[in-house]
Amino acid sequence: MTKAQAKAIFVWGTVLSAVILLALTYNSLSQIPQRTHADRLDAQVATGKWVWQKHNCNDCHTILGIGGYYAPDLTKVMSYRDADWMRRFLNDPGAVWPASRKMPNLHLKDQEITDLIAFLSWVNGIDTNNWPPKPMAATASAGTVEKPGEAVYRAQGCSACHSIGGVGGHVGPDLTKVGSRRDREWIEEQLKDPKSHNPNSIMPSFAKLPEKDREDLVDYLSGLR
Amino acid sequence: MKYESQKIAYKYFVLATLLFGLQVVFGLITGAKYVWDFDPLINILPFNTSRAIHINLLVVWLLFGFMGGTYYLVPEEADTEIYSPWLANLQLYLFAAIGVTAIAGYIAGWSWGMPFLEQPTILKIGIVVVALIFLFNIFMTMMKTKKWTVIQGVLLGGLVMLAVMFLFGIFFMKNLTTQYYFWWWVIHLWVEGAWEIVTGAIMAFVLLKLTGVDRALVEKWLYIEVGLVLFTGIAGIGHHYYWIGTPNYWLWVGGIFSALEPVPILFMVIDTLRDVKERKVEITNRLALYWAVGCAVMHFLGAGVWGFAHTLPQINQWTHGTQVTAAHGHFAFFGAYAMLNLTMIYFALPQIKGLKVFNQRLGMKAFWTMNFFMIMMVLALSVAGVIQTYFQRVLGMDYLTTQGFMKLWFAVFWVSAWGFAIGALMYIVNFFTIGKKQVAV
Ligand code: HEC
Ligand code: HEC
Ligand code: HEM
Ligand SMILES: [Fe+2]
Repeated sequence: MTKAQAKAIFVWGTVLSAVILLALTYNSLSQIPQRTHADRLDAQVATGKWVWQKHNCNDCHTILGIGGYYAPDLTKVMSYRDADWMRRFLNDPGAVWPASRKMPNLHLKDQEITDLIAFLSWVNGIDTNNWPPKPMAATASAGTVEKPGEAVYRAQGCSACHSIGGVGGHVGPDLTKVGSRRDREWIEEQLKDPKSHNPNSIMPSFAKLPEKDREDLVDYLSGLR
Repeated sequence: MKYESQKIAYKYFVLATLLFGLQVVFGLITGAKYVWDFDPLINILPFNTSRAIHINLLVVWLLFGFMGGTYYLVPEEADTEIYSPWLANLQLYLFAAIGVTAIAGYIAGWSWGMPFLEQPTILKIGIVVVALIFLFNIFMTMMKTKKWTVIQGVLLGGLVMLAVMFLFGIFFMKNLTTQYYFWWWVIHLWVEGAWEIVTGAIMAFVLLKLTGVDRALVEKWLYIEVGLVLFTGIAGIGHHYYWIGTPNYWLWVGGIFSALEPVPILFMVIDTLRDVKERKVEITNRLALYWAVGCAVMHFLGAGVWGFAHTLPQINQWTHGTQVTAAHGHFAFFGAYAMLNLTMIYFALPQIKGLKVFNQRLGMKAFWTMNFFMIMMVLALSVAGVIQTYFQRVLGMDYLTTQGFMKLWFAVFWVSAWGFAIGALMYIVNFFTIGKKQVAV
């Protein structure tokens, strides 16, 4: 091969690839608004994004799979946490989720937390081509349908302190067989007012949970025998 | 060394060397947070801050290295003194001042909050000014030349591309997907585009001088390598557009083009080995030779093999955003760019200092220590990454429980990192004492 041919590879290879990138960028930018439902991207979401950046959350957490690998990916966090939990958590992470690896209390203002929740809820709706993928194990056992109470249990972050079947935290008692030692009324009381059973309880009160959710949760827990 | 102004490179190499040391220190701090849950620094220097400093120092010392390398290379290629040594100094101090401000700012909680691009906007503008001064100075020097060599042309092209891509990382965009779309124009088009070009040119120069092979041969291969890097790498950016809200044709485009990216990197290995085999002169600077060959090999393993391993969407779907990425990031940055800069430093340093022969024992030890422990670090992170991928993504175990299962490998990683730090320290000592009679070994 001559030097002139080598130079041609260089010039045409670069031009061709750059043209592909530019053309697809043009097309991608026209599709992104719809794939990210940009119509719901209001001023509050944008402010929330800036709060996210200002506190540099992204160097601990990944989002869309990019960033620090030290803390959970937050792309779909609003699918399994509800806004109320998020508000309490961001206000004081250590109290709501006494995890082994800790998130510092960033002393966020109430307004910042509201904006962040708007941002994370918007991110939750981005069409990510189904990423993160459904675990293969879950796909394999797709026959077992989740009980409504299980979803509440997850959304409320009970597993931060409790474990069921070996999965979860150890700040509170293991709940694998809680239904065999506590009855429905007792469990309901524990959720509404943990201090009624233990005046020094560090378990947060879930009195504000909607009636339906609490019923489902109690059904689920009392069924664990 | 033919021109007095090539000595400007020395100051750049000093800063690169010191910042490299500091980068390793912050790496050890950041890594410790994975090994122990209890973090005594959680409110002073939490993980996000120490990581930001660690990766910023990495980029900044590599840029200092590239700039120093350029100031060394260009006079010799263009056959003239640097256009303005005064500007070269100004640019050095300005860049250093911006770097110090950025790091002090991170500790004080001043951040723009996108990974690698945490610098607040005003500092980014300062960086653009530094880049403009640098490019102006280099361009004016090259304009004085009578013969435009391919090496300097390619180098200039790479540097201009490097500066232009940075502009896409300055603006705040409301849409996170769009923000990340252009964030990758900086990150990916740097490491798999502009930086590869700069590296290709500098490596071509070093090999040419070191082995005395034909310039025509070196330059022909430089064109081919750089051409294929850009052909595969530009559209290869698609391997970052699988899951961020971009259309799904990127699964095809990204998968196909990025899967070809290792090809030019393999060519670089073959090219390097052939140059060394067919050398026309005896190579007395063994250290430069070792780093050059080592760089070719580690570049291929870190970027080519470890990159290829998770670049196809079928695999990336499971590994995306896990420690697999961290393993590859460490391996590729070290193998390609840290080693390239160390190659250039070991090539230029003896000439700047006017040494004909010098003691190479400590330098050799540094070479083997750093390389050995970097491989250990990467293997440990790779095991951690595979565990994470399997337990968290395939089995659906929750994030923190999975991290517990990875602890052992974080520990192996961290202990190996201490080994690497010792190697880096040997290098730093060697850098500052090279050629002195009494070398403490
Ligand atoms: C120093 C690292 C660090 C920083 C900075 C950080 N986090 Fe966290 N975050 C963690 C860790 C570790 C966890 C998981 C354990 C825990 O809750 O303590 C977590 C958990 C979370 C969770 C719950 C995730 C889940 O799976 O339920 C949310 C939501 C969250 N962080 C949001 C944020 C936001 C928003 C910011 C920025 C304002 C932020 N984090 C900054 C480390 C961090
Ligand atoms: C911050 C930690 C924490 C969180 C979050 C938490 N708990 Fe608790 N929980 C405790 C502790 C500690 C106890 C032990 C009794 C006490 O001190 O109140 C407890 C006790 C219980 C008990 C009684 C178990 C027994 O056998 O005595 C039940 C049932 C229970 N929690 C359910 C829940 C549910 C459901 C949730 C989520 C909606 C939840 N907890 C969230 C800390 C927590
Ligand atoms: C020397 C060149 C390279 C360097 C320095 C480098 C460095 C990096 C870094 C630091 C990241 C992480 C970015 C982040 O999310 O923060 C990354 C991601 C990635 N790299 Fe490279 N890389 C190089 C070459 C390559 C090559 C040649 C390939 C493919 C063949 C490749 C494939 C990938 C992929 C697929 C990811 C995304 C990982 C994920 O999904 O989480 N890289 N690279
Ligand atoms: Fe890439």
